[in-house]
Amino acid sequence: MALTQVSSNKCSDGYQKVFEHDSSELKCKMKFAIYLPPKAESSKCPVLYWLSGLTCTEQNFITKAGSQQVASEHGIIIVAPDTSPRGCNIEGEDESWDFGTGAGFYINATQEPWKTNYRMYSYVTEELPRLINSNFPADPEKMSISGHSMGGHGALICALKNPGKYKSVSAFAPICNPIQCAWGQKAFSGYLGPDKSTWELYDATVLAESYSGPELDILIDQGRDDQFLSSSQLLPDNLIAACSKKKIPVVFRLQQGYDHSYYFIFSFINDHIKHHAKYLNA
Amino acid sequence: MDVYEVRGRLDVIAEELTASEEEEEAVSVKQDSPDVSTAQQMKEQLSRSRSKLSQKIVEMENFASNLEEIFITVEENFGRQEQNLEQHYNEVLQTLSQRNEARAAVLDEQKNSKLERLYGQLLLCGRTLDAAKELIESAQELHRRPDKHAFLQAVTPVMKRVEQFSREEVDLKLGVSLDFDVPMMDLSQVRQMMDSINVLPAPSAPVMNPQIANSATDTSLHVCWSLFSDDTVEFYELYWRLISDDCTMETPQEVSQLKVKETHCTVSDLLPNAQYELWVTATNTTGISPASERAVYMTVPSPPVLKPRQCVSSLDSALIRWDSGNTNPVESYTLELHQTHADAGCSATECIVAIPSCECQLQLQPWKHYIIHIRAVNIGGPSDRSEPITVSTTGTFFHLLEDTAHPSLSLSADGLTMFYLDEDLPISHMTFSDNTFNRCVAVLGDLVPVRGHYYWEIDVDESAEFRVGVAYEDTQRNSYLGGNNTSWCMRHILTPSRHKYEFLHNGWTPDIRITVQPLRIGVFLDYSRGILSFYNAALRQHLYTFSCQFLHYVQPCFALDNPGALALRTGMTAPPYITQP
Repeated sequence: MALTQVSSNKCSDGYQKVFEHDSSELKCKMKFAIYLPPKAESSKCPVLYWLSGLTCTEQNFITKAGSQQVASEHGIIIVAPDTSPRGCNIEGEDESWDFGTGAGFYINATQEPWKTNYRMYSYVTEELPRLINSNFPADPEKMSISGHSMGGHGALICALKNPGKYKSVSAFAPICNPIQCAWGQKAFSGYLGPDKSTWELYDATVLAESYSGPELDILIDQGRDDQFLSSSQLLPDNLIAACSKKKIPVVFRLQQGYDHSYYFIFSFINDHIKHHAKYLNA
Repeated sequence: MDVYEVRGRLDVIAEELTASEEEEEAVSVKQDSPDVSTAQQMKEQLSRSRSKLSQKIVEMENFASNLEEIFITVEENFGRQEQNLEQHYNEVLQTLSQRNEARAAVLDEQKNSKLERLYGQLLLCGRTLDAAKELIESAQELHRRPDKHAFLQAVTPVMKRVEQFSREEVDLKLGVSLDFDVPMMDLSQVRQMMDSINVLPAPSAPVMNPQIANSATDTSLHVCWSLFSDDTVEFYELYWRLISDDCTMETPQEVSQLKVKETHCTVSDLLPNAQYELWVTATNTTGISPASERAVYMTVPSPPVLKPRQCVSSLDSALIRWDSGNTNPVESYTLELHQTHADAGCSATECIVAIPSCECQLQLQPWKHYIIHIRAVNIGGPSDRSEPITVSTTGTFFHLLEDTAHPSLSLSADGLTMFYLDEDLPISHMTFSDNTFNRCVAVLGDLVPVRGHYYWEIDVDESAEFRVGVAYEDTQRNSYLGGNNTSWCMRHILTPSRHKYEFLHNGWTPDIRITVQPLRIGVFLDYSRGILSFYNAALRQHLYTFSCQFLHYVQPCFALDNPGALALRTGMTAPPYITQP
């Protein structure tokens, strides 16, 4: 798998790079951003995978979240893929902002015309790590995952479906219970079809209720003034209830005054990276 | 050398001292001169000489004042001897002159009586003469009368009278002797007095020595005195009286005494930390000397009592507190520190002296064990060692402070667990003080006042509604922990449906949900980073961190909002997942 460097900028003593490659899972060219801390020049570093939300590309996080400084301090590589396959010319892929392009939902689609390309779940959990581990000074045993909104949903399901694969998981304003919210219902019915049992395979709340595996330590930040919270797209209470029942450790912080934007991510990204560093650098 | 010369010497030394002080200051002013190290050396030298000189001055002053006392006493003694002798002789002279006068008076009397007698005789003679003359004249006159008839008539009685008169014996002897009867003088007393001048005088007053350092114990004093004359002494009598002891005294105390042959003595059965007035007399065959000046000696104090519950320690420091062990104040305290090694008992001992109050903060090596004793010191010397305590610099150690606890809280015997019992305590039991919490059922702990980092854990019951965190020492005792700006705490509230967690400061909390109830809470305090963090210690899960620059030292605080229990775990350092993320 050949990687082509698209850009490279020195940042916080390390390098913020963007690469492009041909993805075998997604059958198209995909870009991803990777931040290499100064420590990566001399030794292997743990990797934090960041999954962005609806309408984002690999650029939003690296330009708006301000994660490089703390990543540099803690010696962590941050990989931020795109949110869906691009340029596949699937009919309807650009019709809505919350389905299709920029809205991959980190699942493996089973329905036509999406099932060939829309395999973001496998891309994120298998292809991308393989790629990163063989091309960069990454410690293959030390991976963590995080994300925002749809990406938060992605981070949670990847961790819950792969017990022990990720050392830690965190999320910003995640879609916690997609089968119960408008976004999830629209996406899952489109990608996975009408059978709701297939949807449950990609629902964090449902997965939490049946989780068994090594102990997790989940950090979730949610802006109180987030319009999507009030419009019942995110449903964090359901996830909290499920985790309380199953004794999955979660610290959920409702942040007064914050909304759904990258300003919110910027404000708390340091706490999240430190949360991951605790486990990645242990 | 007399006292004035000594004083003069002291003045010279004092002058030298000020001169050297000025020199030292001059040296320290030149801080930025290139030769800072030599200046430093000189400074050290100067300060060493200075301390030696100060020591010498103190010694000389003590010596000078003792000399003065001796000088005065010797003068007094000799003055007294002089006076004595003068008096003696005056008495003798007086007695002699008295005798003299008496004798003269007797002689005078004799003279007067003799003269009177003689005068009487003289008068008698004179009268006799006069009578005879008269007779002769009358006879002559008769003889000359021409009238023979009348002459015959008168001549017979006259002739009879003349015959009678001439027949009378004339006493021509002196009535008195011309010798004086000199009476015998009773000079035996005078002789006695003269003799006694040469006899041994009673001794002069001894001089009490000042108390020798470290010669006293808490119940005995070693007393010394000296005699500054050539008097013979058979024995001394030492008197002593308690003048102040460790409790307030109402009535003046009795005087005790002891007969001693030597010029020193150990007096026992005394009270600790007490002042005694002592004086001594010397006795010989002649009599008893006057009493010496009174000296005041002091027994050493009772040993202090360490308060382990109020001692706190961390990895590299400790704050030790104790009770004086004496009611009256002592001069200072000495702290003895032994480091113990696992294999070889005790090793190095360090001593910290002149501690003015009942607490001491120590700088220690991490990961070691120390044994600490305290002694109380007064002018009599140091007391025995107190019972020791052990300090281990292996983590943050402290106990719950009973005197800050709300009356409804009872603490366990080891001071690490608190119980809020579900029973109505009697009103009499609810004794509040300025230091106890009176609304929030809370208690404080304590930390070494050093701005380092500290870690402790709290074990709680599932149903315990608690508040744990830190607060300033003077946090309002009538308010709730976290409800003011002098306390920060994590709070657990149990509602019918769920567990609620708050992280309170100044009445405000962020909105945080926690899915797994923490039953062992780790609290981490870092003054330099200005953070107070809470963890689910069992899961090593971070719960929340306050960012605050603590303006003063803070103390751990604990409260129960409902009946329940809460146990403190101390003696730990912060686990690596906290300090090395």
